[in-house]
Amino acid sequence: MAKSAPVYILGGAQTDFARNWTKEGKHFVGPMREAVLGALEATKIEPKEVQTAHVGNFAAELYAHQGHIGAFFLEVDPAFYGIPTSRHEAACASGSIAILAASAEIEAGRYDLACVVGMEQMKTVDSTTGGDYLGTAAWYEKEAKGIEFPFPKLFGRLGDEYDKRYGLKDEHLAHISAVNYSNAKRNPLAQTRNWFMSESHAQTESKFNMVIGGRIKVSDCSQVTDGSAAIFLASEKYATEWAKRRSLKLADIPRILGWGHHTAPLEFDVKVAESRDNQYVLPHTRQTIVDAFKRAGVSGIEKISAIETHDCFTTSEYMAIDHFGITKPGESWKAVEEGVIEMGGKLPINPSGGLIGAGHPVGCTGVRQMLDLHKQVTGAAGEYQVEGAKITAMLNIGGSGTTSCVFVVGK
Amino acid sequence: MAHKNLKVVILGANGTMGAPAGAVFAGASFDVVMLARDVGKAATALSGAQSAARAEAVGDRIKLGSYDKDLEKTVKDADLIFESLAEDLSLKKTFFERVDNCRRPDSIIATGSSGLSIAEMARGRSDSFREHFLGVHLFNPPQVIVGTEVIPHAETDPAVTKRVCELLTSRLGRKVIVTRDRPAFVGNRVGFKVLNETAQLAEEHGVAFIDYVIGPQTGRAMAPLATVDLVGWDVHKAIVDNVYANTEDEARACFRLPAFMERGIKGGKLGDKTPKEGGFYRKNGKAVEVLDPNSGSYKPLEKPAPIEFVEKMKQFNREGRYSQAFNVFAEARGAEADLARRVILGYVSYALNRVGEVAQSAADVDSIMSYGFNWVPPTVVVDLIGAKNILKLITHYKLTVPPVVEKAASNGDKLYSGTMLDYGRTLVG
Repeated sequence: MAKSAPVYILGGAQTDFARNWTKEGKHFVGPMREAVLGALEATKIEPKEVQTAHVGNFAAELYAHQGHIGAFFLEVDPAFYGIPTSRHEAACASGSIAILAASAEIEAGRYDLACVVGMEQMKTVDSTTGGDYLGTAAWYEKEAKGIEFPFPKLFGRLGDEYDKRYGLKDEHLAHISAVNYSNAKRNPLAQTRNWFMSESHAQTESKFNMVIGGRIKVSDCSQVTDGSAAIFLASEKYATEWAKRRSLKLADIPRILGWGHHTAPLEFDVKVAESRDNQYVLPHTRQTIVDAFKRAGVSGIEKISAIETHDCFTTSEYMAIDHFGITKPGESWKAVEEGVIEMGGKLPINPSGGLIGAGHPVGCTGVRQMLDLHKQVTGAAGEYQVEGAKITAMLNIGGSGTTSCVFVVGK
Repeated sequence: MAHKNLKVVILGANGTMGAPAGAVFAGASFDVVMLARDVGKAATALSGAQSAARAEAVGDRIKLGSYDKDLEKTVKDADLIFESLAEDLSLKKTFFERVDNCRRPDSIIATGSSGLSIAEMARGRSDSFREHFLGVHLFNPPQVIVGTEVIPHAETDPAVTKRVCELLTSRLGRKVIVTRDRPAFVGNRVGFKVLNETAQLAEEHGVAFIDYVIGPQTGRAMAPLATVDLVGWDVHKAIVDNVYANTEDEARACFRLPAFMERGIKGGKLGDKTPKEGGFYRKNGKAVEVLDPNSGSYKPLEKPAPIEFVEKMKQFNREGRYSQAFNVFAEARGAEADLARRVILGYVSYALNRVGEVAQSAADVDSIMSYGFNWVPPTVVVDLIGAKNILKLITHYKLTVPPVVEKAASNGDKLYSGTMLDYGRTLVG
C-alpha cells in the first residue's frame, strides 16, 4: 500500500443526541447549522477558509422528504457560497464514506481544508415506519418489505450464526448493552444519559423490554436519534499554519493514521453462505480492520487504546470484539466476561456509549465516532476520557455488515 | 459520604414527585426505601418508579415500607432522607420530628418542597438536624428534567451543601444551582411570574391569542397557558399565592392569581388532570376547546390568524437562524408585538434582577430556566437582540434594568457562556 499524504483532524462539534428536532419544530438545516457553527467555533476556523464540504446522510428523502443534502451546507454561512459540496450515502456508514471522500480529496492535493458533516433526522415518523425506512439499508424487496422491524431481525440472525458456529449466551449481549448505557451516563451529549438500565433489565424480557425480533430485545438495540456532527479535515499545509495560529506543534494534532473500506454482498444469507468456511462470520469486515491497521502501521490490537464501534445491536459489538482481534474468533464472550471492554478495562469499547447509549443518527454516526476519537486522543473527552488514549480505532457499518469502514486515529 | 451503596429513604414515595424520584435514585445505584402511609400505597410508589424508569428492574434496588412500621428502622440506617410529602408545612414538620429522633447524626435530610421556607421546616429540630437539612428541588418529571435547585438555609453546614451538589451532579446527572431560601426559589419564582402574567393577559386578549404570540417561538418547549394546564391550576395557585404573600419586588402584581382562575379552581377546574372540567383547554372527543376566561365557557379552538412577526420568528427558528428571529422580534411593529415584547423583556428583566437576591449568578438563572423549564436562557435573549437594544427596550417598557445588562451594554460583552448547541433546543419553529 503506497503511503499517502497525511490527513489531519482539527476537531469539531455535535448536537445533543437527546434532542427531538420534530418537537422543536426544526428543519434539519437548523441543527446542521448548529453543528457546523459549533465546529467552526471549537476550531477557530473562519468560514471563508473552508474549501470543500462532504455531508453523510442516509435517508433525508424518506424522513424529511428532501434530497440534495450537500447543498444545505451553504445555508450555514454565506461565505460558503460557491464551494463544492456533495452528499454521501452508504446506510449507517454514510458518515464514514463522507470522511473517506474528504480525506481522498486532501490526499490528492485538491483541497487543504474540508468540512465533513453527518446528519440524520429520524423522529419525524413512528417507529414502525422508521423501521421500514431503515429496511432500505438491506435489499428491501428481498429482506425487508412487509417485515416489521427488519433490521433487529437481521442482526438477531448474526447472533444466531455465532450461536451456531461457536455458541452464544444472551447474558453476554445483555452485559454489552449495560456497559454502553453505563458509559453514556458520562457523556453529556448521549441520548440515553438519563435513562435507566441494568444488566438484569437487559437480560429480562418484559413489557418495558420487549422482543423486537429473534433474540433482539429493546435493550439490545441502538436508538432512533436526531443528530448532526461536523469535523474539519486538513492537509499538512493547512494544519501547519493552523497549529502555528494556535501555538500548537503539528505533532500534537491527531491524524487519520489508516483506513479500511470494503463492501460485502447486500443479502445477509449470501454473506453467511460466503463465510461458511471462514473463522470470521463477516470476513470483509475483518479485512477492513486488517487493512486499516496495516495502513496505520499498527502491528496489532494491543497498540489500540480505545475503540468506537458500530453497536447498532449488541450482536454487532459482539462481532466487532473478535473481528478486531481482541479475542480469537468466536471467543468475544471472554473479553465481555473479563471486563476488557469496560471503562478502566484493557481496551474500552465505546467510551461515548456507542450507538446504543450515545445514539444512532444513522448517516451521522461515522462522523460522531471520529469526533469522539479526536476527543480521546486530545484528552478532551471529559468524564468519558480513556486515560492516556494514544492510538484509537473506529468501525462503522452500513446494512447487515454490508459496508465496513474503519479508521485508526492518533498522533 | 462515600459514593457507594448509599441508602436513601423517600417519604411520600407515592406522590407525584416521590415515585419518579425513587427511580432517579435507584437508577444511580442507590439502595432506596420508598415509604408511604401503608404498604398498598408503597406498592403504587414502586409501580410509579417502574413506569418512570421504563423498567421493572429498577425495583431490584427498591424496598417498600409504611410510616408506622418502617420509618424509624429504615431512617436510622439511611445516608439520605428525601422528603416528598404534600406541600403542607405542619405535616412535613411532624415527619421531621420523627426523623430527628431516629436518624444517624451524619445523615442528610432533604426536602423536595417546590417553594416553602427551608428555615421554617427546620425550626425546632436538633442542631445536628438543622445543620444537615436543606432543600433539593427537582422539577417534574425528574427522570426527564435535570434542572435541580439546592437550597441551604442559614444553619446548613456548607460542607453538606457541597456534598449534596457533588452527589446530584456526578451520580444523578443533574444540572444543579444553589439558591437562597426565598419563596419559590429561582426557577418557579421567575417561571411562574411569566406564566401568571400570561394568565392575567388571557382575560383581556384570549387564551389562544396569548399562547400564539408568546408561544414556543419566543423560547419555550410549550406555550405558557398550556404549561399551566400541565402543571395544574392548584399547583400554580399554591406557587403564585406563596410568592405574592411573601415577597415585595418590582413585579409583585404579576403574581396575583386572576379571579377567573380562583373561580375555576373552586369549580374543580385544575387543567390536564381534570379532563372533564378542563383548564385553559379542554378536550371534547378529538376536538380541542378553549376557555373564555370571562364567561367560563368553552368554544372550539381555532387556529389564530397568522401574525407576520410570529410566523417569521417560527421560520427563522426552524432553520436555526436565531439571531434573525430575535431581530424580527425586537423590530416588529404593532400592538401584538408590543404585548409579546413586554412579557419577554419582562422575563429577561425579572430573571436577571434576581441575581444577588435569590440566584448567585446570571449563569445560574440561565441554567435553571434552560434545564428546569426548557425555556431560552434570559442572557441568550440579551445576546441575540444585543445588550444596547435590550437596554432601550427594557427602559421603554418601564421595566427594571438588571445591572448585568447595563454592564454588558456599556462594555459590549456577551452574557451567555455556552453556544447555540446549548440553547438551540429552546427556540422552537
